[in-house]
Amino acid sequence: MNNNPYKVIPGEIYDIVQESPLIRTLRIRPERPIPFKTGQFIELSLPDIGEGPFTPSSSHFISDVMDVTIMKTGFLTDHIHQTKKGDRIGIRGPFGSNYPLDKFAGKDLLILGGGCGLAPLRSLFLTLIHEIEKYKSITFLAGAKSPKDCLFKESVEEWRRYSKVKFLRTVDEVPSDEKWSETVGVATVLLKEVKIDPKTSPAVVCGPPIMMKYGTMDLLKLGFREENIYLSMEKKMYCGFGQCRHCVIGEHYACKDGPVFPYSQIKNEEDIWE
Amino acid sequence: MTIKVEMFYDFLQQCRESKIGNFQQVIVPASTKFTTDGQQQFSPLAEDTTFNLDTYRTIDPLKMLYYYFRERVYPENGKTPKRLIVGAKACDIAAMRVLDKAMDNDDFVDPNYKLWRENTTIVSADCTEICPTCHCTLVGGKPFVTEGFDLNLSRINGNYVMTTGSKKGKELLELIGKNAEIKESDPGDIEKQRKEIVTQLERQNKSYARSGVYEKYRSVDMDSWNDNSKACIGCGACTNICPTCYCLILNDETKGQQFTKVRSYDSCQLSGYARVAGGGTPRPKMYQRFRNRYLCKFDYMKSNFNMIGCTGCGRCTEACAAKIDFREVVHNVDATVANK
Repeated sequence: MNNNPYKVIPGEIYDIVQESPLIRTLRIRPERPIPFKTGQFIELSLPDIGEGPFTPSSSHFISDVMDVTIMKTGFLTDHIHQTKKGDRIGIRGPFGSNYPLDKFAGKDLLILGGGCGLAPLRSLFLTLIHEIEKYKSITFLAGAKSPKDCLFKESVEEWRRYSKVKFLRTVDEVPSDEKWSETVGVATVLLKEVKIDPKTSPAVVCGPPIMMKYGTMDLLKLGFREENIYLSMEKKMYCGFGQCRHCVIGEHYACKDGPVFPYSQIKNEEDIWE
Repeated sequence: MTIKVEMFYDFLQQCRESKIGNFQQVIVPASTKFTTDGQQQFSPLAEDTTFNLDTYRTIDPLKMLYYYFRERVYPENGKTPKRLIVGAKACDIAAMRVLDKAMDNDDFVDPNYKLWRENTTIVSADCTEICPTCHCTLVGGKPFVTEGFDLNLSRINGNYVMTTGSKKGKELLELIGKNAEIKESDPGDIEKQRKEIVTQLERQNKSYARSGVYEKYRSVDMDSWNDNSKACIGCGACTNICPTCYCLILNDETKGQQFTKVRSYDSCQLSGYARVAGGGTPRPKMYQRFRNRYLCKFDYMKSNFNMIGCTGCGRCTEACAAKIDFREVVHNVDATVANK
């Protein structure tokens, strides 16, 4: 059978970028291109160790190589943080739903992210600026624990040069040995800088569960509509195709119906913020 | 069509010896070292196997014969043996329809599952006895098949009445006809016999009556789930033995250059089931996982497959280390809904 859904495409790690003490970006070259849509995820395998779901952090206009930004936080990711350039890695996918770019066209888009949640948002952002003429504006609000935990430090200045882009950062706290000239506070404090019309604008949220929860609540308070708030519900998406049931949110599968859900679709399910 | 019981047994032995039908294996419910008091377990037929095709369902679910507990799925099985499974019960056949929807649909095909199913002919048989946990009639089922079967046997007065339900079943009947004496006769009143078993089931399960308004279970108070799950130790026996549970884990067992994936059963009752890196889990408490199982069966599977995920086999109750009766929990939960 040619279409084995468990099929693994081998690839090679051709570069590694240490973004922050706990987060690194693997740059992967699969044996053959893996076309995906921004927001979709892949299953990354380390031979004889295991596999886990990760959302690429690179633009979907590039498919011959792929960036995946990963935080060291468990068994598999500990091993991923021990990989070296040239190591073999496996990829299944892509799986799941993507960010609905057609619904963002001609709109002022708000992106709210925190921590490692910036990984899929970088993919979205790079995809958007590839065709920046299609969008009215992009407001990107990014939170991190401390200045050294900020991701994609090298790219921020470049991103800020786009006239349609407003890229704001905040950190929870600034340790005495670090320097910071931008906002201090949790990610949602940046929402007061939002100048776009909440009634018509789409918003995308991705980050740690607590940030997703309060971010969504604050967006609703500002007047954003439930159906315009897109959440990346990253659960334990084990198989990727709605079979293993680890990621179910009520009757919805995070892997198949998501990971990108409009808030209106899942607001009545319990435990969505866990 | 009918066949004498002994003659049918003889036919099975001939199949086993690969004299006819090119079957590589014949599987029947038989008593084994794991069974007691009339219980049976699916086993390969041997010359001296003691088996009973009638009675009630086996202790192990039929799914274990086509959705394996642990199986390499990538690279997939190149081929599977041609098999004849005889003596499956209606609860397992109904469960197979749920699994078929999950494992072989427009969006997804599990290659191994499909191959096992394609190469297996399943002969079902009417229940002629019930066991203490049997309750198919509580979930709209019957102790005999009505759909989704290949060939069915109804035993009466030393004969099997054979009914076909699929192309595979027709082919098998043809094969039986060529190799044994079959007749078009009416050996007795099957309906009366079936009705008698239904009556026994209804009598046995009278005190577990439920409204069947499953869509309301989601709104049941957490306190009720907490009360009902107090005895649960979260071992996962219920889900492993359930004929419609199919949650899986995929392990990477790559050695050398070829990436290798192995799938095994998982259980939503285990605390680590939905835990993500970093330790977060949507259902940290036992009662939440306990509730998930019931809602999965009666609500989520209904939404996903338009079939509820309980076929009334009662194996979960039989397997439960804490002696929790599934019917009783549903009855209690149902009563909470009815009082609202």
